[in-house]
Amino acid sequence: METTLLLNTSLLLTLAIILTPTLLLPVSKTSSNSPTTITRTVKTAFLISLVPMTLFMLSGTESITSYWEWKFTTNFKIPLSFKMDQYSMMFFPIALFVTWSILQFATWYMASEPHITKFFFYLLTFLIAMLILTIANNMFLLFIGWEGVGMMSFLLIGWWQGRAEANTAALQAVLYNRIGDIGLILSMAWLASTMNTWEMQQAPLPTQTPTLPLLGLILAATGKSAQFGLHPWLPAAMEGPTPVSALLHSSTMVVAGIFLLIRTHPLLANNPTALTLCLCLGALSTLFAATCALTQNDIKKIIAFSTSSQLGLMMVTIGLNLPQLAFLHISTHAFFKAMLFLCSGTIIHSLNGEQDIRKMGGLQKMLPTTTSCLTIGNLALMGTPFLAGFYSKDLIIESLNTSYLNTWALLLTLLATSFTATYSLRMTLLVQTGFPRTPTNPPTNENNPMITNPITRLALGSILAGLLITSYITPTKTPPMTMPTTTKTAAVIATALGIALAMELSTMTHTLTYPKQNPHLNFSSSLGYFNPLMHRPNTTNLLNSGQKIASHLIDLSWYKKMGPEGLTDLQLMAIKTSTTLHTGLIKTYLGSFALSILLILSTQT
Amino acid sequence: ASEMSKDLMPGPYPRTPEERAAAAKKYNMRVEDYEPYPDDGFGFGDYPKLPDKSAHERDPWYQWDQPDVRHNWGQPMHWDFDMYIRNRVDTSPTPVPWHTMRKHFLLFLSTMLIMFGLGEIYPSYRPVGPKQYPFNDLYLERGGDPNKEPPVVTHYEI
Repeated sequence: METTLLLNTSLLLTLAIILTPTLLLPVSKTSSNSPTTITRTVKTAFLISLVPMTLFMLSGTESITSYWEWKFTTNFKIPLSFKMDQYSMMFFPIALFVTWSILQFATWYMASEPHITKFFFYLLTFLIAMLILTIANNMFLLFIGWEGVGMMSFLLIGWWQGRAEANTAALQAVLYNRIGDIGLILSMAWLASTMNTWEMQQAPLPTQTPTLPLLGLILAATGKSAQFGLHPWLPAAMEGPTPVSALLHSSTMVVAGIFLLIRTHPLLANNPTALTLCLCLGALSTLFAATCALTQNDIKKIIAFSTSSQLGLMMVTIGLNLPQLAFLHISTHAFFKAMLFLCSGTIIHSLNGEQDIRKMGGLQKMLPTTTSCLTIGNLALMGTPFLAGFYSKDLIIESLNTSYLNTWALLLTLLATSFTATYSLRMTLLVQTGFPRTPTNPPTNENNPMITNPITRLALGSILAGLLITSYITPTKTPPMTMPTTTKTAAVIATALGIALAMELSTMTHTLTYPKQNPHLNFSSSLGYFNPLMHRPNTTNLLNSGQKIASHLIDLSWYKKMGPEGLTDLQLMAIKTSTTLHTGLIKTYLGSFALSILLILSTQT
Repeated sequence: ASEMSKDLMPGPYPRTPEERAAAAKKYNMRVEDYEPYPDDGFGFGDYPKLPDKSAHERDPWYQWDQPDVRHNWGQPMHWDFDMYIRNRVDTSPTPVPWHTMRKHFLLFLSTMLIMFGLGEIYPSYRPVGPKQYPFNDLYLERGGDPNKEPPVVTHYEI
């Protein structure tokens, strides 16, 4: 059978399977839309999506299909076209696998939620939007997916809408994403006017792409993928339920920005300024997020900053003009980050809502499966040799060390790698080891297979995914093959230094007393003072000036001063000056008129 | 019939102390606390000028009549109260003073930018050397004089 036919059919079948719960919603209200059904739907879709992935791995088949065309104007058409290439076909099974595990976990985690079906629907809608974004062949469809994931992120972060902090966090997410959307629309407009199409398979320009549309794309990625400058929404998004954090803000939505840059990398490839900007921005993001993660005490915030740091690393890879490697890191990162979030969800529920790691401890004996998977996830995150994270992270660091690039970016990324090890080990030590600092009777329970199955499945993925993907996908650019031993082992040495730092700090905490506040601790734990410095003045000025414009400018100025009262003021001014001039002696004036007329008449005749 | 009576609505700017006392009573405030906006033509009337404090600064554990906006019935609301709700501007005191925060953040940002600039001027790359050819760096093939001595070429071995 022709491979492209099988490819297209199976991928479309995957999408159709995912859409079925949404189509069945108005039809039946009983059991066909329960959370279990939705989980089973996603599992089926995952298994079907393995078909195109294996097909691609074994035969290298790619296809671009278009189904319908929106004849916008006579020379600008927007087709509904799907691009099934390496990136979309690898992403589908990974996203579906992770979503399946998260949905299975959420049936336990959100079991006490009265609107659990609506929650699952929101998650499913998010997944559909994300998959549309992935498979889109033109910017229009990508934009639909882009906005879709932004909307669902808003709805899901503010799931517990009675909580003001959750509402503020959701608002923050929407506003920061919107600022990024400005950049995306700018580059879409440039594309439409220059290339006259929004398709992505056009040949790259032979000359250097102008920097402005690339700046737009980078702004879009900064907003969506929480790079430095538009990053505060990601830690704030931890107000949402843990399955939301696991799905959106670790594996799928936040990689949409990086995915956009991967899709448009032919445009980026021949503009060194844009690449250097990506590199520097990514390096700054990864170091800033890693620094902030060092002093956080909320377990979800530590993992959120870890995500932010890894996104910065992906941006660095884009800046090195290695989109395939960035995608590899996206794929491996999805597994262990989702697993870290699910483990933290189990821990939080087991301690009756406690999220502060200073009140956890000794969980290794109380929750063995969860903490073992937490350890595996942390090891994969740190880039332990031959786990999943190693294949992508080590390659990135090797390419960094052997390229012609900004020295400071290289140093920052290496420092961030060691910080990754430090905060991961800090989290592990405070959560799993030591004496329990929890209340004496927590409802610790991990006997439910709904908990252990997803976590162990993702652990298996964290161990094997890197090996499997790199064995079957041939790289498009030759990786650096020869380098000195120091360079080859640079990542491992940086990680080991980070571990040593963490061990040293933990022994210091137990033996020496430290001062309570110092500038570095304040800087790190207040997230670089970015949040208050940016949020308070900007919003105050905007809202104040909005109020003044609405009441003073419009009401006072346009309606009153520019109309009746302004005229009154002008006339009053004229009147006041001329009042002194005329004295009102009518009889004298009449007499002078009569006298002058008589004089004129007498001179005439 | 459902509107407020005329003496409960905001009125013109109070000029005499009696008007001030009446306005303070109308707004359920003490005469000492009552301070109207200055009368500069912007139309505030006798509405009190409350301190610019957002809802974040009010006690979260007190049993307010309206817990979501942390407000009691009859309490005078700020002119810009919709700006100071819990979803918007937060005026609560920061643990670190504002000028310290600004200074440290700008120091961080400027250090990063300067170092990135330095990194651009002095980039990092693998060590490279000029390409080496055999036969005295291809002296004869490049049109060198066969009678003259070729220049000395240093070869490197890795």
